Amino acid sequence: MKFELHKGSRSRILAVAILLIAAIFVGRLFYLQVVQHDYYVALAAEEQQSRFVIPASRGMIYAKSGNEPVQLVMNQTVYTVFADPKTVTEDREIITSLKEIAGGNTRPEFEKLLEKKETRYQILATKLSRIQADKLKEKGFSGIGFQETSQRVYPEGALAAHVLGFVNTEGVGNYGIEGALNDELNGKDGVLQAVTDVRNVPLTVGNNNVRIPKQDGKNIVLSIDRSIQSKVEQALVSAAERTAASNVSAVVLNPKNGEVMALANVPKYSPGEYFKAEDVAVFNNNVISGPYEPGSTIKAFTMATAIDKNVAKASDTFVNTDLIRVEDRTISNATKGITGTISFQTAMQWSLNTGFVTLAQRLGNGSEITPAARETMYDYFYNKFRLGQRTGIELANEASGTLIAPNQPTGNAVRYSNMSFGQGMETTMLQVAASYGALINGGNYYTPTLIDGYVEDGEYKENPQPEPAAKGVIKPSTSNEIRQMLITARAAGFPGADRAGYSVGGKTGTSQVVKNGQYSTSETIASYVGFGGANEAEYVIMVQVSGKDREFQGARDAMPIFTDISNWMIEYLKLQPKG
Amino acid sequence: MRDRGWNTGRSSTDVVRKHRPDYLIALYTGILMLLGLVIMYAIGPQRANVLNAALGSDFSDSYFFTKQIISIVIAATAFVIMALLPYLLIVKHASKLLVVGLIACVVLAISGLAGLSFAEEVNGATRWFNLGIFGSIQPAEILKFGMLAYLAVFLGVRATAGEINDVRKTLIPTALVSALALFIIVVVQKDLGTGVSLTAIVMTMLFVAGLNRRVGAAIVAIVLAAMLVFIVTAPHRMARVATFFQGDNTSTEDGAAYHIQHAKIAIGTGGLFGVGIGNSVQATGYLPEAINDSVFAIMGEIFGFVGLLSLIALFVALLMRLLKVMDGLVDMRLKLLVAGVFGWFGAHVMLNIAAMIGIFPLTGITLPLLSFGGTSMLFMAAALGMVYHLSQYTIHPSRIKEMTQYEDPRSRGRVGRTRHTGRRRS
Repeated sequence: MKFELHKGSRSRILAVAILLIAAIFVGRLFYLQVVQHDYYVALAAEEQQSRFVIPASRGMIYAKSGNEPVQLVMNQTVYTVFADPKTVTEDREIITSLKEIAGGNTRPEFEKLLEKKETRYQILATKLSRIQADKLKEKGFSGIGFQETSQRVYPEGALAAHVLGFVNTEGVGNYGIEGALNDELNGKDGVLQAVTDVRNVPLTVGNNNVRIPKQDGKNIVLSIDRSIQSKVEQALVSAAERTAASNVSAVVLNPKNGEVMALANVPKYSPGEYFKAEDVAVFNNNVISGPYEPGSTIKAFTMATAIDKNVAKASDTFVNTDLIRVEDRTISNATKGITGTISFQTAMQWSLNTGFVTLAQRLGNGSEITPAARETMYDYFYNKFRLGQRTGIELANEASGTLIAPNQPTGNAVRYSNMSFGQGMETTMLQVAASYGALINGGNYYTPTLIDGYVEDGEYKENPQPEPAAKGVIKPSTSNEIRQMLITARAAGFPGADRAGYSVGGKTGTSQVVKNGQYSTSETIASYVGFGGANEAEYVIMVQVSGKDREFQGARDAMPIFTDISNWMIEYLKLQPKG
Repeated sequence: MRDRGWNTGRSSTDVVRKHRPDYLIALYTGILMLLGLVIMYAIGPQRANVLNAALGSDFSDSYFFTKQIISIVIAATAFVIMALLPYLLIVKHASKLLVVGLIACVVLAISGLAGLSFAEEVNGATRWFNLGIFGSIQPAEILKFGMLAYLAVFLGVRATAGEINDVRKTLIPTALVSALALFIIVVVQKDLGTGVSLTAIVMTMLFVAGLNRRVGAAIVAIVLAAMLVFIVTAPHRMARVATFFQGDNTSTEDGAAYHIQHAKIAIGTGGLFGVGIGNSVQATGYLPEAINDSVFAIMGEIFGFVGLLSLIALFVALLMRLLKVMDGLVDMRLKLLVAGVFGWFGAHVMLNIAAMIGIFPLTGITLPLLSFGGTSMLFMAAALGMVYHLSQYTIHPSRIKEMTQYEDPRSRGRVGRTRHTGRRRS
């Protein structure tokens, strides 16, 4: 630019001054915008960039009512009210409004939290409903914020509590299906990293914005049938009253596919109010987490092994003296006097230990439980019937139990003689119930499962029918024979208990409890496992009754619960009597 | 011979033939106004959003853009009117203009005290007349314009008579009238920004009129002392100065530094080419006064270093045109009119930019022609229109040289005399 200003005039001086100042400006701008650019970009990012978490909603859990899914667990949005005491000015109005709108939800002495003016974050009230939160938002207090959280609600109350488990305040599932499938239920939170305006509202400008959409958790449909579950829970509660037992447990599953139709324990708790539980033991699911010596219910497996190995039939006989020697031990029967030459069917009916030790011996050389016999028993018990192994059901804290292998130092003949009638081994109820399914369904082992399908976009998508985890663990003929044995045994032991025209079988168990390495003389656990149906078994039910320092007997205490549920099941499933 | 063209009240057309005006003045003014409009378009929606969220008001996205268009139309009209208005009218009625300005201010002050509805009170200061649907008007701007016109004539006559450094005849009257105007603006209306620009107008005119160094230094000293008093007596001004002395080490956490820090962040994030229209983040509420005083910083964010460089070049070019017109005018009164406009415009540009880039404390002065707001733009455009009109009466630079060469009495009267007087006095 050429300034043809008058030489020596003051306009020249002004021009020079302006140019000088402009030059300083340009220099300064170069420094700010080019040299210091990154610094200011970082400074701006620090203030403007915000990371928002888009919370994924936790999957809901359904039970079935017939073939329709019904909600057992839903989500409810609740609000936490927090304050930035440093910027809050309308203390008195806020306190009044909070008391008025959310009186029951405020934290104790929240007024004092507001007075902590040097702090920037104080939670004033929690678990406000949307209506309460909206009312407060309308007031437009500055320095007051709202945080949305999701909370589990249970339309069916405590129903199936041990199946469900609960979700803690951090949103993490504990126990049950909530614990086992926490990740699947939880989904994945989305992330929105964006430049925000001064009121923290995300803007669309900027090129460092990140958006990862949330993935909601899966909505799981359980194989639990609401009616059966409800019936089982009622049956357990009345049984607990009748027997004065402290713990009663039951599981009902479908032997044709391994699906658990009901699973319950007494005492139970309410998952919505899990924090009110006095003893955390109440959260334990005894059906899967409480391994015990299963006792006489195991006799059916010993029998099945012998039949499958062609060493005995139900009608085969042995001489019962109520005593049998195995190496240095003598094993006796609980029920005495059925002596002489009797069939194994009779031994099953009277639950005579000697008969099953005899079977174990016949698996060997006829008089000893040889290593080969022990290998056979272990192969059947552990590998085929999966006793002493976790079933893999979709529940947290499943115990494995214990089955001593014959190659272990304690896996001797004495141990295996005990195992033939269910002692010296530990299983869970679910293991026994699932294996009974294989015993009586023709020999196919189904992994017990709780998941029947998913609800996606409001539509119920049923899983395909489960395939057996192992086919032909015993021969169909073996299955048929053991099934008939159990039906006969039940009919003989409890005549008239079942509705006429249906095939119901089962086996009692009265387990001794090991305390301090010895069998307790004052405590026994009662159990009963059985099945029912018309021409084929439609359900397997296992029941257990126990209590500290109480002696419960399978036939007296557990069997009636089975009968109660079984007869109800026949009616509920609308089973036609045998033709 | 010396009175010819000024003391007789005759037009300088007698001396200089009227020629085509300096179109560049109109061009630069227009470009600057349109740039302001672009900014209003770019950040108006964000600004409306911020205000709606903060005040619960209901500004539409196009509110600021539309309002700025109206302001520009009014300002352009004022420019045209002043460009057509014979300057003789201004020269003739300069003192009346000043009196009108003074009366307007006094009326405002009284009605403000009386609590009349048309006197708008904002933050404890009454600065505006509310004219209902015609918007509002700031009488201080009339007073400022009146001062500009009156002092140009007064000092022009004195300078021509070689009496510019005469304490009794020139300096005391100038000081008195300036002090009165400043008292009204700065003390009564608490408008330091307008006060600063008025001071700049007066000082530029005195400087151009040929004030000698000794008197000039004294005046600068007095002004500095007065400024110091104003700064020390007001806590918020102290805070601004304190912030300024922290340089670039300020943080956004510091309330006093918040404004300047965000202005720097806005400018700094702009980088070389800016973030582009519609991508300004600072305008979403971080930077205060984004559409008014801070519009330079927002432009820095949007258009970057290159954009600001062009903007500064545009301002400098316009200022240079003003100087050129000033230089080419023969009549000292007209010369001083342009000098006043130069001082006014220049002070606004320089102080605003200097504050935004952190090399001068914040003064709350708008960026002329660009900032949102009708009154300041209206009077600025009117003043530039007046200069545009006067640009028709300049003489060619070669003639200035010629006249100096041949010892034209006019040029001696202007340059020589003042020097001579100054020398005699020292």
